[in-house]
Amino acid sequence: MKRAEIICALALVAVAGIGVAEAVRLGFGWGPSGPRAGFFPFWLSLILGLCSLTNLGKAIRMSAATGGPPKPFVSRKLLKPVLAVFLPMTAAVLLFEVVGFYLAAALYLAFYMRWMGRHSWPAVLAVGILFPVATFLILERWFLIPLPKGLFEKYLPF
Amino acid sequence: MEALANLLHGFTIAISPYNLIIAAFGVFLGVIIGVLPGLGGTSGVAILLPLTFTMPTTSAIVFLSCIYWGALFGGAITSILFNIPGEPWSVATMFDGHPMARQGKAGQALASAFIPGFFAALISVLLFTFFAPPLAELALKFGPAENFAVLTLAFSTFTGLGAGSPAKTIASACVGFLLAAVGLDIVTGKPRLTFGSIEMLSGFSFITASIGLFGIGEILLAAEEALEFKGVQGKIGLRDIWVVVRILPRNLLTFITGTILGFWIGVMPGTGATPASFMSYGMAKQYSKHPEKFGTGVPEGVMATESAAHAAGIGALLPLVTLGIPGSPTAAVILGGLYIWGLQPGPTLFTQQKDFVWGLIASMYIGNVIGVLFCLSMVPLFAAILKTPYAILTPLIILLSSIGAYAVHNTTLDIWLLPVYGLIGYVFKKLKYPLAPLVIALVLGDMTEEALRQSLILSGGSLAIFFTRPIAAGFMILTIFLFLLPAIRPLARRVGRTFKVEEGEKAAEG
Repeated sequence: MKRAEIICALALVAVAGIGVAEAVRLGFGWGPSGPRAGFFPFWLSLILGLCSLTNLGKAIRMSAATGGPPKPFVSRKLLKPVLAVFLPMTAAVLLFEVVGFYLAAALYLAFYMRWMGRHSWPAVLAVGILFPVATFLILERWFLIPLPKGLFEKYLPF
Repeated sequence: MEALANLLHGFTIAISPYNLIIAAFGVFLGVIIGVLPGLGGTSGVAILLPLTFTMPTTSAIVFLSCIYWGALFGGAITSILFNIPGEPWSVATMFDGHPMARQGKAGQALASAFIPGFFAALISVLLFTFFAPPLAELALKFGPAENFAVLTLAFSTFTGLGAGSPAKTIASACVGFLLAAVGLDIVTGKPRLTFGSIEMLSGFSFITASIGLFGIGEILLAAEEALEFKGVQGKIGLRDIWVVVRILPRNLLTFITGTILGFWIGVMPGTGATPASFMSYGMAKQYSKHPEKFGTGVPEGVMATESAAHAAGIGALLPLVTLGIPGSPTAAVILGGLYIWGLQPGPTLFTQQKDFVWGLIASMYIGNVIGVLFCLSMVPLFAAILKTPYAILTPLIILLSSIGAYAVHNTTLDIWLLPVYGLIGYVFKKLKYPLAPLVIALVLGDMTEEALRQSLILSGGSLAIFFTRPIAAGFMILTIFLFLLPAIRPLARRVGRTFKVEEGEKAAEG
């Protein structure tokens, strides 16, 4: 937990640093039309930096005060189910661009149901086909919201 | 009684067959969102937002707000029957609701949630109806200095009333403001914080952020807990309703306190139904004649929580339509919707969009009636949704989230950002950085910056403008007080024990 707190605070200090650098580039003082473009980001980055340094200081002092064994941010046992959700999701998100939403959704659902849920193939096929068809009808036909179709964009008539 | 005439006009709009169907559909979807533990009200409303793009604006707001009412009702079902919170604001409903269900009084526990919740919502809508027009009239006189003062007041409530660490709360809000600043500068039109990227010129979509931070983050957290739905069967009979209606007058004080407290907390920007429910539960316990029985299955516990949550949900929309400031993260998503529909949130709605405002207010009455009827009659149906296996539910929620994120701007970049936001949401939640300030800062960022810069242009760069105009000065002094409150509170705690209640509100989303 302590290491995670420190990393998070450092990351936010870095964000603040980027913000200040950008604000300095844009100019954060008084310009011909009032405050310059960097004015607002400059002060916010400064506040963010100060708060994050406070959090950093607190995190460093934290373990000394509590004594006891350090509490991990995520135990090894719990990391597995979290990754089991996160990694397939990331893969699906990347697939949308390549093969389009509908095929990617079918593949993702099928993968998840078969390998995580150990559902029977008929159930996998049923959900894997029904969901994309239903979303297609509801979104593209009823609510007129087009979804990405990836490679197939050119070949599809709709 | 101009408000009454306007309200009647609103009813003629809200009661049209199309709007009634939209309202019922919204409430129904909302209850489902409320029942599903992986899907909260904030991300649920955000996911369904694209469906409103083809609707007339009044129907669109009716739809979104009815989803909110439905979700407020639905959370209790999962909490009471399954001992798992369907929504963050129904965590405190579990404390007494689930023990009641275990003792075979599931129907009575559910009725104790829905009936007081419904009446609390009704009282709050009445307060809303008569408070909103004068508040909007006052707000119409605001210049940039007053607007900026109100906005800073909104953010000071996070540190003043929130339970989290002040440094983390402010850091979270700053991240939201910085994300909002990405893109073209609103005054000079210069690209900033884009680092030469064309995609980033249009800035970060607020809808994607709320779906990712709240929705995906919540799913990742839920994965750790490996949820198992072993629940109690529950159905509400007429007898249960009768029992609750009979014991309600005996607990009138609990109910009224919960409603007023909830409404007030809902109105305060950034603190929604969740802290309201915890505070109300704590108050009910503290002032009860038998506090030791709380947690073992007393209906007052459920009544206190639910009345406050429902009142807060309604209250959260009051600053939204009168000042253009959302009272809760879910209200922030609705505010994002207003921008997308081309409306300017704030007091001008009352003068220029009368049909919209009064249609919304009338639909609050109707939506809550529909909500309580659905819930009282269809609990077994909604509970059956939880029998959907985890391995189907998780990918379905993620797919619906991606659709919601994509459909706002039709860019795949928004879908790619989802896992990133999800990861940030997961880490922030575990490290107790509150997410609500980030999301609200992201949606209010441009408005805050514009108000600040315009005020400074007016005053020629002097900050004194915020203290020389009476209304702005009042807000500013209150703001400074709230920012200093975390430092004063340790002293206050010694004086009164009431503040202990706030320790219960760990999660601050609603």
